[in-house]
Amino acid sequence: MRWGMVINLAKCTRCHACVAACRVEHFLPLHVTWPRLIAYEVDSGAKVDVSTYPVRCNQCKDAPCVKVCPTEASHQRADGIVAIDSNKCIGCRYCVVACPYQNRTFVSKAKNPGYFPGFPETKFEKKGKKIYPHQVGTTEKCNFCAERIDAGTERGLTPGVDRDATPACVNTCQARALTFGDLDDPDSEVSRLIRERDGFQLRTEYGTDPSVYYIDYKLGGALSNKAPECDQTGSHMQELSSVDADAQKKLVGSKKS
Amino acid sequence: MVPHEWMVKPMRQTEWIDGRGLLVWLAEVFSALGTGLYLVSLFVDSWWGALVGWILIVLFKLPFHLFYLGKPLRFWRAIPPFTKAWRTSWMARGMFFTLMFALFAAIQLVTTYLLRHDVLATSAVDTINVLDWAVKILGGLFAVLTGMYAGFAMSYCKSIPFWNTGLLPIVFVIMGVADGMALVMGVGLIGNGIDINALEAASRVALIINALLIMTYLVNASYQSTTAGLSVRELIVGRVAAAFWIGIVLLGITIPLAISIVSLFAGEASRPLLVIAIVCHTVGAFALKYCVLKVGICRPLLPKLYAH
Repeated sequence: MRWGMVINLAKCTRCHACVAACRVEHFLPLHVTWPRLIAYEVDSGAKVDVSTYPVRCNQCKDAPCVKVCPTEASHQRADGIVAIDSNKCIGCRYCVVACPYQNRTFVSKAKNPGYFPGFPETKFEKKGKKIYPHQVGTTEKCNFCAERIDAGTERGLTPGVDRDATPACVNTCQARALTFGDLDDPDSEVSRLIRERDGFQLRTEYGTDPSVYYIDYKLGGALSNKAPECDQTGSHMQELSSVDADAQKKLVGSKKS
Repeated sequence: MVPHEWMVKPMRQTEWIDGRGLLVWLAEVFSALGTGLYLVSLFVDSWWGALVGWILIVLFKLPFHLFYLGKPLRFWRAIPPFTKAWRTSWMARGMFFTLMFALFAAIQLVTTYLLRHDVLATSAVDTINVLDWAVKILGGLFAVLTGMYAGFAMSYCKSIPFWNTGLLPIVFVIMGVADGMALVMGVGLIGNGIDINALEAASRVALIINALLIMTYLVNASYQSTTAGLSVRELIVGRVAAAFWIGIVLLGITIPLAISIVSLFAGEASRPLLVIAIVCHTVGAFALKYCVLKVGICRPLLPKLYAH
């Protein structure tokens, strides 16, 4: 069993709901964000193409962060999830430097000032600290909501199918751009999507074998495997997005022509 | 949404050089200076030089590394037998090498002191002599490993192509040895028993090798990948150019080499010139590690924008 995620780039509407869901689910410190959205702009002259790539820890099968960790705080679970034991982490930040995807964050005091600095903690904050202590001086990253997966599977639920066993970001995605499931199961939805839609991983040359795949949009806007423009929710949203004034002019210009 | 630059364009690593990361830089500099000085001292048989080398590692390198950690009191978790990470992690290996160096070099300093000051009973001299040789070999071996591991730790990072080369550990060790020669000359200026002329001759060769090695490193990096080329550009004409040209090229190599060549023709360099050479060389050691850490640029996430 190896948990994985497929992200449909054509469906993603850049709403940041996954980022917000993760923040609430894990009571993330103010300046710490586990999943992120990369806004990537290609200006071909005639058309400005703004694409967004939702990224998070890739839970690599051959994870450099696990190999470099001097205390074995970063470790790989049997289900493929790369987890961090915060009580073992010494905060050397070797994993932050070695992660080829830059998806690890060192929690410093500056990154965790509390949501209302100078004021007493809210009940929500207090509860959050009990469940997720977010130790200052240690490293953090997305864990595919391992606690939801563990709790759900104990109850006989299936991650990726049953909401209570599925990562919060996947549950929240309004456009259903995120799909979660078992990469080792050829009949799972994620395996089917990767197979049929020619799923790709980021930076395969590192040999890390990420568990996060992308479909329906080739990097750099290559023609192959790109969804028709009318099907690209994101493409439609580009005209509503706040790209700079020059880009706006170009977009309007290309529409007129 | 406004397009942003996080991992879209090449991004500089900041954890090991900015803010508190400066402690990593200092630790690495003292690592090179300490191990280089200790190694050269072993060869020229300078007890005081070896002592200063040991002090640089134990009282400077280790504490700087320790204070950098987010959870310094947990440092023991990185040391075998509390971890098995040494099988894959250069950081864990480095911790082990450093502690072993501190231990064996300390024993060596004691045994050499005892042998030199004739305080041992005649029956014990032979045993201590054997022990002295053994700990000298072990101390020297762990000094090389301690000076080298940081280069391996950095060259392991595939996402930073400027570091991701086998040349880096070699540059660190050779530069460390050259720094050690300069510092031993400093020890020789204060005390006696060190052939400064011989050291100067060796230092001349080490400096030329260093200059060639750094040049090879940069030329190789410039066409290794776009991102590594960007690092080289940052070094030569970018924000780090002052540290590179003044710190490494001028102070670290050119001035010590010029003084060394002057002494070759003059027969012997004057004391003030030697002091200038030693100070310049040491500043060069600080500049080298600073520059290498500062221009560690990560490849962007999206390959089509920048070839890796």
